[in-house]
Amino acid sequence: MASQAAPAKPIPTPPAGSRLAWQLDPPFGTRHLLVVLAALAVLLWTGHRVEMDRMVVLSAQAIAKWIGLADESQVAHGIERVAKSMWPPAIEEKVEVARLPELDRNNLPWDARLETQQRIEKRMNLQTLQLEETVERTEYLVRPWGYVFTVALKMLETLEIALWGTLLSVLLSAPLAYLAARNYTPHRAAYLLSRGVISLLRSAPELIVALFFVLAYGFGPIAGVLALGLHAAGFLGKFYAEDIENADTKPQEALEAIGAGKLRTLWYGVMPQVMPQYIAYTLYILDRNVRMATVVGLVGAGGIGQELKGRFDMFQYDHVATILAAIFVVVFLLDQFSARLRARLL
Amino acid sequence: MIEFDHVSLRYADGTQALHDVALRVPRGQFCVLLGPSGAGKSTLLRTVNGLAKPTQGSVRIDGIVMSPATAAKLRRRVATVHQHFNLSPRMSVAGNVLSGLLPAVSTTRALLGWFEPRHRAKACALLERVGLEPVHLRRRAGELSGGQQQRVGIARAFMLDPEVVLADEPVASLDPRIAHDILSLIRDAARERGATVICSLHQLELARHFADRIVGMRAGKVVFDGAPDALDNAHVQALYEAAPASGHDGSPQLGAVPALAA
Ligand SMILES: Nc1ncnc2c1ncn2[C@@H]1O[C@H](COP(=O)(O)OP(=O)(O)OP(=O)(O)O)[C@@H](O)[C@H]1O
Ligand SMILES: [Mg+2]
Repeated sequence: MASQAAPAKPIPTPPAGSRLAWQLDPPFGTRHLLVVLAALAVLLWTGHRVEMDRMVVLSAQAIAKWIGLADESQVAHGIERVAKSMWPPAIEEKVEVARLPELDRNNLPWDARLETQQRIEKRMNLQTLQLEETVERTEYLVRPWGYVFTVALKMLETLEIALWGTLLSVLLSAPLAYLAARNYTPHRAAYLLSRGVISLLRSAPELIVALFFVLAYGFGPIAGVLALGLHAAGFLGKFYAEDIENADTKPQEALEAIGAGKLRTLWYGVMPQVMPQYIAYTLYILDRNVRMATVVGLVGAGGIGQELKGRFDMFQYDHVATILAAIFVVVFLLDQFSARLRARLL
Repeated sequence: MIEFDHVSLRYADGTQALHDVALRVPRGQFCVLLGPSGAGKSTLLRTVNGLAKPTQGSVRIDGIVMSPATAAKLRRRVATVHQHFNLSPRMSVAGNVLSGLLPAVSTTRALLGWFEPRHRAKACALLERVGLEPVHLRRRAGELSGGQQQRVGIARAFMLDPEVVLADEPVASLDPRIAHDILSLIRDAARERGATVICSLHQLELARHFADRIVGMRAGKVVFDGAPDALDNAHVQALYEAAPASGHDGSPQLGAVPALAA
């Protein structure tokens, strides 16, 4: 069966001006232009509604002030005021001894010392009607790095909330994903139900869920863990399930063909394929939960956020500065850590 | 013995993939399916392990009709070697071979991957039989060459001591020498166990060399059935002649057919 080579044929060129059956249109036309114009109009309208024009004007004023072109700017003034009150960040913790009735003077905390401050006050002597200077002495318990330690402890609590929230979400979403994967669900009703649960969990923002859990469980980390865990379970459930559905069918078919059964096929034919993605999603959730754990603290769900809210409400912006710096450092370290972990695991 | 009792199969989209196929493949035979793309070879193989269900007729394995009720039991006796190997690429070679045993182990063992010592020993013995080395055990299946992957696929297929081995173009993506080795492996391993083999192929020479019997298919029908010697050029030409308009590969093959006759 030797095949004979057909004589090479030249590629035909059509005579000039002839109409071809094939034609390739340019990629854009008037319709595209109209769509772009319409989109632009809508953007302009909504942009005005969310005050983007005012934002541009205010920002321009602020920049003008800073480079010395304008004298007044509301935004620049606000930012400068906050920045000034945030500097320097709070490092030490200083409490009046008078407010610590339990304090044992012979047995101070290891990092603490007592400090006495004198203040000269002018006071009217009611008998002589003269201004007199009196020396007021106040004794303080000072811990030079005290506030840093406090923030570190709160930060640790935040990390723990994030960790347990992630753990909870993985535990919840694994069975949900199994039920919500179209090709593995044991029953159509289970599929619909679990898809519904997943949508519900995903649609509830952590902050609002945390608000309700604070009402139910009181202030503290329980509300934080539950809020983060439930929301992330919705996210992970959806993505885990979709990965199961989209997994390469070849290994699954091989196991199905020998009658391995659904559960074993899932375990041996699907899990090895989707595991890298699962790890990536879970790391993303851990990363996100650390950031969200600081936010849910604002409504009283424990951790650094709760501390932040307290200081903010008392206008102690130097303390706020310390907290923000701590959050930045932790998020930065976490980025490095998870990038490295991902590189190793995938 | 595998019996195809007037099997017809029409897919949901209306494609008539099999048309009244009647065949008996006795125990121990190496039966090769030949035929152009779309002839229905894969479909016929899939009716044996129940992945495709005949719309008419039935498939019997040792007298038991393949049906949803009997599928779980029958499938254990039918192993499949796939064109694309169908291994879990990220799982180890050992894990892939052991997964061939999944229907026969307890759920706990399956989920933990904790197989009995005799099963692990069997996996090792089979891997040695198909010509792999101990170093391959822990390697990821996806990191092996195509030929090595198919060897793993064969080891997996023989884990349950099958009575029937289905092979769907098992050497389509392998070089000629390795293709020859792989087919020898399938034939010999099947012979040692008295297993029946049904194997689809696109290479005439290999079919002639390995087959005890050749079944030619075209457009869902059996158009040739006989010993390899009986398959002459006229049969081959009729088998692969350009299909009427419905040929799913389109026109390019039209030019190739006259050459086949020469
Ligand atoms: N799942 C399916 N749904 C619908 N039609 C299908 C399906 N699988 C195969 N077919 C059609 O059935 C016919 C037979 O296909 P089959 O895969 O059995 O052919 P084949 O002989 O194995 O071809 P090849 O040599 O290319 O593997 C073809 O027309 C194909 O398009
Ligand atoms: Mg095929």
